[in-house]
Amino acid sequence: MRPQAQRVSLLLPALLTIGLLFIVPLGFMAFVSTLQRGADGGVIWTRHSIDAYVQFLFERDLADNLVINTDYIRIFLRSIGLAAITAVSTLVLAVPTALWMAFQPPSRRTLLLFIVTVPFWTNLLVRNYSWVLMLRNGGVVDWVLIGLHLRTESLDLLYTPLATGIGLVYSFLPYMILPIYVSMEKIDRRYIEAAFDLGANRIRAMQRIILPLAMPGITGGLILVFVPCLGAFISPELLGGAKSMMIGSLIQQQFGQSRNWPFGSALAFVLLGLILIALWLHALRYRRAGKVAS
Amino acid sequence: MTAAHVADIPSRELDVAAPVRRSADHQAAVECRGLVKTYGPVRALDNVDLAIRPNEFFTLLGPSGCGKTTLLRSIAGFSTQDSGSISVHGQRLDGLPAYRRPVNTVFQSYAVFPHMSVARNIAFGLEMSGHPKDKVAARVREMLALVRLEGMEARMPAQLSGGQQQRVAFARALAPGPRVLLLDEPLSALDQKLRTGMQLELKRLQRDVGITFVFVTHDQHEALTMSDRIAVMSGGRILQIGSPEEIYERPTARFVADFIGETNLVEAEKIGPGRYRIASGIELDAADGGAVGQTVTLVIRPERTVLEGRDGGLLPGSVDQVVYEGTDTTYHVVLQQGDRFRVCEQNRTGARPRFSRGDAVSIALPRDAIRVLSA
Amino acid sequence: MSEATGLWRFPGARPAAFLVLAYLYVPIIVLVVLSFNGNDSALARWGGFSTRWYGVVAADADMLRSLRNSLIVATVATTVGTTIAIMAALATSKTRFKGQGAVEATLGLPLIVPDIVAAIAILLLFVAVGIPLGLVSLVLAHSIFAIPISYLPIRARLEGLDPSLAEAASDLYAPPWASFRRIIFPLIWPGIVSGAMLAFIGSLGDVVVSYFVSGPGSTTLPVYVFSMVRMGITPAVNAISTVLIAVSVALLTMSYLLGRRVQ
Repeated sequence: MRPQAQRVSLLLPALLTIGLLFIVPLGFMAFVSTLQRGADGGVIWTRHSIDAYVQFLFERDLADNLVINTDYIRIFLRSIGLAAITAVSTLVLAVPTALWMAFQPPSRRTLLLFIVTVPFWTNLLVRNYSWVLMLRNGGVVDWVLIGLHLRTESLDLLYTPLATGIGLVYSFLPYMILPIYVSMEKIDRRYIEAAFDLGANRIRAMQRIILPLAMPGITGGLILVFVPCLGAFISPELLGGAKSMMIGSLIQQQFGQSRNWPFGSALAFVLLGLILIALWLHALRYRRAGKVAS
Repeated sequence: MTAAHVADIPSRELDVAAPVRRSADHQAAVECRGLVKTYGPVRALDNVDLAIRPNEFFTLLGPSGCGKTTLLRSIAGFSTQDSGSISVHGQRLDGLPAYRRPVNTVFQSYAVFPHMSVARNIAFGLEMSGHPKDKVAARVREMLALVRLEGMEARMPAQLSGGQQQRVAFARALAPGPRVLLLDEPLSALDQKLRTGMQLELKRLQRDVGITFVFVTHDQHEALTMSDRIAVMSGGRILQIGSPEEIYERPTARFVADFIGETNLVEAEKIGPGRYRIASGIELDAADGGAVGQTVTLVIRPERTVLEGRDGGLLPGSVDQVVYEGTDTTYHVVLQQGDRFRVCEQNRTGARPRFSRGDAVSIALPRDAIRVLSA
Repeated sequence: MSEATGLWRFPGARPAAFLVLAYLYVPIIVLVVLSFNGNDSALARWGGFSTRWYGVVAADADMLRSLRNSLIVATVATTVGTTIAIMAALATSKTRFKGQGAVEATLGLPLIVPDIVAAIAILLLFVAVGIPLGLVSLVLAHSIFAIPISYLPIRARLEGLDPSLAEAASDLYAPPWASFRRIIFPLIWPGIVSGAMLAFIGSLGDVVVSYFVSGPGSTTLPVYVFSMVRMGITPAVNAISTVLIAVSVALLTMSYLLGRRVQ
């Protein structure tokens, strides 16, 4: 049919670009993770090996025996933990903000939306760098606290997991506010009026009407924050110290000083797997919620 | 606007869209044969045959989902039928895209282009079919006069009222000089008062321009007041085609009788020529229809019946509800078998409703008030 | 309005929201203020108002070259990506077809995969296929991300159009291309502009993907700034960061005002 042919030709450039330059490379990356590492970096294209995945869990001791190495597991767990903490922290900050925004008059809502979107689209690197200025020794936070005589010396915040966390929350907060705001703004005001009319107070209306109806935005926001946090590179790189390394930096190292492409690819592949699991859990929840609704 | 004024609108001279100009007078303006269109399991058009005469105001009437809009969109070319054919003035349209069809449409949402002025909107169709600038400008002026929007040509649609946007939509569709104008519920977005005014205006436009209007509506009142002929549709089929009077007075299908106006439908058995027996055993006379022994449906309009005291009429019952409607009063009567029956009386000067709830009454049925449907 | 009555005020929401907005803006404002600090160190000691660090930035040839690279890459990638996105949006909006879910998931994929993973996957492909790392590889990589970023606002705009408008154009003898050029394109123009602006901002802001797929002479500005920051904090970084913020804010404001005017 003609409309069908027209649709295919309109979609072709997009699907080809993303397919060839994005999906194929992801598959190719999985392939590289099964290759043997070249002696001076790179890979040996014809030789396969599971070294990369072995290296993830084990290392060779002096006697050349495989022993369990928890270093990389720990980095993964730390990343998952930091991503989860970030997701929950942004949620706590975003709910009251979105609530307040959603119940402003419509004209002001557009402006507030703009105000929240500006940091979202401001250079991520610059935003994280601004926290270097805030947290470093003798930085703005120290200067304020010491100036107010609350402290006499530096807090030494920079290059700690806390600094990474602050940077991550700062980076991804708009990802949480926006979907929650959108779902709250969509709620028919008459539902809430009906709840008040039926004797609910504000807390009950919040619990029973607003939060349940905003749930798609909340779960969407959790995913939107958790997923990129897991692979975050800039915040831990700029704000975190060597002791709080996350997956992103570990992957980057394999393509930088370690020159171990198969291992880097394997790490990226495992990260991708973790993210697919998170997305799958979200979809599962979503589908169940949909079933209940119908 | 007088007929003399309209005569100089050169809609025929503007050889815009219809390549086939010379056509015999008896030829239908729009002819559909065996149209079928299915959406999944739904038959939107179920073998529709239709011939619309030149220069008539033809209405497709039916409830939503009956296929009337699909039929109109098939003629316009926005929807492709699965089988069957459509011709306009003898020209087969099957397979032609909408932009090559010699018909124009007035849309339900008006679809006035929001980024173009009134004049640019009206000129659009003429420009697209390649008319020279001066001719376009002259035609735009004529159209503005026709729909009484002189002086508004520079306005943007957002600065117009709903009624004015509607006029722009008419002018835009009429500007290329189509011989058939398709109208998809164009009045449904207007409020009641404006709507009545536009109904008259539309009728005037059709008379003035002298072309065929194919009008889609679900509003029976609108259909009855404006149309030369009406096709009543249901379930993708055309049930009856006729003048408003025919449709109302002589429905040929139960659905038509029920859909148009208020109706009492009574099941009866034919027991002899012109003689019928209803469930309560009461026998009555009406026009002949059906075969003896067959079950027929009696169609009885509420305003053709008369409410009498306990013994004056044929069907005994009691008044259950009295609905005062300004010009009329409708009595809902419960018959002895529990069936409900409506009787409508005009409110004459000073008269109050003659009966009230609980009164024992009887309904008189003049012979010509009853229409017999044998199917 | 019912919104003004007391029932709609949730106690605590307002101060919390103000705190959050402050949290979002204070560091950025601090950065901008410090970029005008005449002091030699980037510490929070005020050394008087000065634009000298902007002078330092303007005299840094490497930085200017990386800025030029960034602008070239962003412009080309935005043009390519937005054009492809317009086509895709025309095909997917206002319609249902088989496989639509899969198509839309594919279009959104580049925004879901973490950029570090995307970066090394694209890098590996370029190395394997033999595409040299330079402006071309940067443009290719950035175009991928420009598609989904610009697709969303364009599609939203198309979804908001009355479908009768396209039908009306066609009814008035406009063939498909004329209908697109005269009716659809002018009406979705604000969506195209904001989509293109966001794609441009996204390209201009990218560090991770560019870090991996740029070659020696083709460093982009954010990558250059990233390496500067890692080497040590100098007040010049504050100045160039402020410039980047200003560009984003200017583009966003234009897009916002455009959207409001059209409404």
